[in-house]
Amino acid sequence: MSAGPAGRDARRHDVIVVGAGMAGSLLAKQLGDQGWRVLVLEAGTRTLDTWPGYLDALDTYYAATAKVPNAPYRPNAAAPSPSVLDLEGLPAGGYRAHGYFLQNGPLPYSSDYLRATGGTAMHWMGIVPRMHPEDFAVRRRYGYGRDWPIGYDDLEPHYRAAERALGVAGDADEQREGAGLPFPPGYVYPMRAIPRSYLDAVLAHRLDGAAVRERPDGPDTVLRVVATPHARNGTPDPRYDGGRGHRPAGAAGLPNYGERCVGNASCVPICPVQAKYNPLKTQATWSPRVTLVDRAVVSRVLTAANGRVRGVEYQRYDDPATPAHTTRTAEADIVVLAAHAIENARLLLVSRLAGSSGQVGRNLMDHPMLLTWGLMDQQVGPFRGPGSTSGLESFRTGPARGTRAPFRIEIGNWGWSWPAGSPGTDVARLLGIDADTGRPRGRGVFGKKLRESLGRDLGRQFSLQFAFEQEAESRNRVTIDPSHRDPLGNPRPVLTYDLSEHVKRGMAAARTVSDQIFRLLGAEDRTGYAPGPLAPGWFRHDGRDYVFNGAGHGGGTHIMGTTARTSVVDQWQRCWDHPNLYAVGCGSMPSMGTSNPSLTMAALALRSGERIHRDLRELKGPATVGRQQGGRP
Amino acid sequence: MNGRHAAPTPDPGHGTDDGSDPGKAPEDHAGFVAVSVRLTGFDEFDLRATGLVRLYHDTTLDQVGRPAVGRFLADLDAAGGDPDRITDETSRDIARAITHLWYLGVWPQLARSTHAALRRERANTAFVVSPEAYTEGLVWRTFHGHPPGAKPPGHGTWAAAPPGAPVRPVARRTEGAA
Repeated sequence: MSAGPAGRDARRHDVIVVGAGMAGSLLAKQLGDQGWRVLVLEAGTRTLDTWPGYLDALDTYYAATAKVPNAPYRPNAAAPSPSVLDLEGLPAGGYRAHGYFLQNGPLPYSSDYLRATGGTAMHWMGIVPRMHPEDFAVRRRYGYGRDWPIGYDDLEPHYRAAERALGVAGDADEQREGAGLPFPPGYVYPMRAIPRSYLDAVLAHRLDGAAVRERPDGPDTVLRVVATPHARNGTPDPRYDGGRGHRPAGAAGLPNYGERCVGNASCVPICPVQAKYNPLKTQATWSPRVTLVDRAVVSRVLTAANGRVRGVEYQRYDDPATPAHTTRTAEADIVVLAAHAIENARLLLVSRLAGSSGQVGRNLMDHPMLLTWGLMDQQVGPFRGPGSTSGLESFRTGPARGTRAPFRIEIGNWGWSWPAGSPGTDVARLLGIDADTGRPRGRGVFGKKLRESLGRDLGRQFSLQFAFEQEAESRNRVTIDPSHRDPLGNPRPVLTYDLSEHVKRGMAAARTVSDQIFRLLGAEDRTGYAPGPLAPGWFRHDGRDYVFNGAGHGGGTHIMGTTARTSVVDQWQRCWDHPNLYAVGCGSMPSMGTSNPSLTMAALALRSGERIHRDLRELKGPATVGRQQGGRP
Repeated sequence: MNGRHAAPTPDPGHGTDDGSDPGKAPEDHAGFVAVSVRLTGFDEFDLRATGLVRLYHDTTLDQVGRPAVGRFLADLDAAGGDPDRITDETSRDIARAITHLWYLGVWPQLARSTHAALRRERANTAFVVSPEAYTEGLVWRTFHGHPPGAKPPGHGTWAAAPPGAPVRPVARRTEGAA
């Protein structure tokens, strides 16, 4: 398989990072700044980091019939990405999976990711709440899932470092009081809070201080609308960093261009002005010691004697449409997999590495999402601003976690676009157009009547998005099957996925809470869950129907723990079996709590960077350290 | 549709491009615009401002063919210019499609029966006719919105009350708060 001397990368690197997404880009930045020579291998293309390439993605999004998270980004046969469009619900329940993933679980894994420079963070929402301290010890405290080998306090400085690197706008005091998160005294985020939406204000006015019950005989939970921290340019806070303030990062690919969030309301799938953080911004600040090679699909990790790894084998291709490739190898002292939870697991499985615990690929998790939606009794200004600017944080922790999964409630600013495909579906419905072309069509309304009807109802749409913690379960897993390969011959991921009773009970509680919230709001509930082609996540639990969605928060596949017997990586995200092989990303997380995981992933990556720096100094000795210092800009 | 092709129009006074006013250049696709005003409830100024009249006119002709468009226009004429009174199901489906196109920038799938009746030789699939068609969709304007990813209204505008809503949220549950 190896290409021999001709295919070998002539320069030796200190570190190889596999994947130019958020974790990989942050790590490469940190290590490059410390003087190390870093090779970043990206499976996808590098068209997004020029401004014309970025605008092309925006046009592709405009022209896409289904405006799903991967819609702006060109398909790539050499490095395929999963799409949420790959899943199809069946008429009486159940699902069929097309596309990159093979799926054989009772329920579908419904999330995508993106293989391109910048990775999935090109289409992330940019919401960055910290995890709650209790999320790190769910087994010890609540008797389910798995515990982290470290706690909130260990990660806290790295949370601050990540908030700096991503440029977070938020209100730390409100996070402390409203979400129960501890911050160091006097801490402020780099930027002031992003303004909350008018919808948030309406909900706060009607909900703040009200109590709901998950069961008629259960305890009261008091509601409070709390603004969400964002990795999105707002107004820098002059108090940040001891009064030194913060300078926001502009757009990558266009010099001297960058803005505060101007309300394009398309964070997912693409921010036209790059007010939202994306890893291209970090890449733009890499030291010259960091080399990015795109269209380089790592096919396996190469081992040395003694349990160490020596580098990677990768497939270099020119044209993503016709994937012919040459095989090359690259060597380094340390290899870091940062290719997404599922891709990291796939690479470890293909390379037959890190397997002594039997946990590689297991504990696959996501944030299963339950959406509820309705009409307010007044115009609320939907489809404006970031996708969510506030949430209800009261269900994220507490004793109820012992019996049901905790959840965070995002207030959805974009009407029913996610739950019901609005406004396209509303237009079609009013015109009498059924998605099933074989059915007789309704008469339809036209002209002023159509215009007025849409104006009256679209402007009152809102949704609640319940994100559930999904605990680590070894049965939820990524495997590979040599008989199913992608066009370059790499085995495709085979997923087995389900929701536990714990999660389903969380959804039942959430539905009860949602019903009470709609009553408190005086809103008309239009939520409906039925099987069908657009509902691959339909299931019935305790006599009620549900449809869940994926959040794009894949994790758990190279889980972190305290021993080599039970986990894949140690607290530094270093493989127990291979002292110079790291697997970083959400795949390391033993639990994800109810927080959107990217901030925690970034904090973990920066923490690992410190460890890798120490490893390299130990490996290379003081002479190397001296050379690096000389090489610093 | 285009005046040169002279199908009957529902509103000849409005819909011809004979240039009878010597000080005024003839309007392109006046007939199509007049029909579109009836279908969408938006006036000629709004429709022309999208810059998409010609593309939508051509797309419609391309998708269903000139004879079907002619019959649709005749049916609309016979209905007194009120699309709601069109009784022929094929013509009614063409009315739905043109309206859908204006509101979303998307040519929709036709009913299977329409597709068969027109003996179309192309696939019956929905598509966004151009990137601009999406950003110029009329649906966003029905509620004072903007298409996601384009025409952003500015930092913090999402905090302001939309037209027709109280500037300060009104209590529902309790009275007189805040």
